[in-house]
Amino acid sequence: MIAVFVLDVPEFRPMVETTRDVEGVKISGPTKGYWTIEAPTQLSFSRKAMKMKPAVWYGIFTGGLDGEIADWGRDEVRLVGTNKPL
Amino acid sequence: MSEKLGKREDASSAVTFNSAMGIASSDVSAMKKVDGPGSLTLSGVDHTARPTWKLNETVEFYRDVLGLPLVHAISARGWGPPGHHDFLHFFFDAGKDATIAFFYYIGSEQPERYIPEEHHFYFATHTAWAVDTEEELIAWKEALTERGVKVSPYTKHEILESIYFLDPNGYPVEITRRLRETEKIDEVDAMLTLKAAMEVEREARDEGQLLADIDTVWRRKAAYVRAYQESDT
Repeated sequence: MIAVFVLDVPEFRPMVETTRDVEGVKISGPTKGYWTIEAPTQLSFSRKAMKMKPAVWYGIFTGGLDGEIADWGRDEVRLVGTNKPL
Repeated sequence: MSEKLGKREDASSAVTFNSAMGIASSDVSAMKKVDGPGSLTLSGVDHTARPTWKLNETVEFYRDVLGLPLVHAISARGWGPPGHHDFLHFFFDAGKDATIAFFYYIGSEQPERYIPEEHHFYFATHTAWAVDTEEELIAWKEALTERGVKVSPYTKHEILESIYFLDPNGYPVEITRRLRETEKIDEVDAMLTLKAAMEVEREARDEGQLLADIDTVWRRKAAYVRAYQESDT
């Protein structure tokens, strides 16, 4: 299971808005200021879909990431589950 | 208040600059820590200061190109410690009682290690000067560009939008505006980020390693955010 924690502020809220309707993705919160985006095996974010500026994009998982970055680019990031310790 | 300003030792007999200033690096772990936010506060910027070996260009840039009034200048014959150069110390108005200051050390050559480098380590030492509105930020970029300064694109980074340029010394200067005010959750988030980062950094250091990547911080942060959400505080 992948879990991405997203601070409930304007810069990062598009992460929630653009994954809300993705099949298999569960969104909960915001709980105490953080949204939680969960997905069973993989989860992708698109910078252009989120209209996110690069300087914010490069800090996209600053809210916390329980998962592993499988692909990392300027416009797309793909996460997979991981057994690495938190 | 236990110390009277008039009774303090003067600096003129000191051997090194740091001893003249009465300062030294100390072990943070041996220092007493305040319990929560301290009762001491600061009231914004009075001045920033850097050395210059380009007196004419610096004055012309800050006063005549940026248009910041020259509001104060000190000229002094050394400063007490042996080997201290005669100098000029001059200040440009940066708004809200803050100034941008320079030291010009007379008769000195610029040491090689003080020559600016095109590297983010070097760029990290900068001051961001504030404007209040988007219109003002645009006006600065357009005016500076028109006056021949090479200005960066607008950069939005979370709570700030900035432009960057170099002064004649090669020092980076940032002009920025707040996109939003920070809230309580920003403070909580900052605390959790640094808690995670400090912990994994210490773990790496204890193993004789450098902290590998930000992913390591983000994973530890996930654990702390989850615990925070489940806690009563």
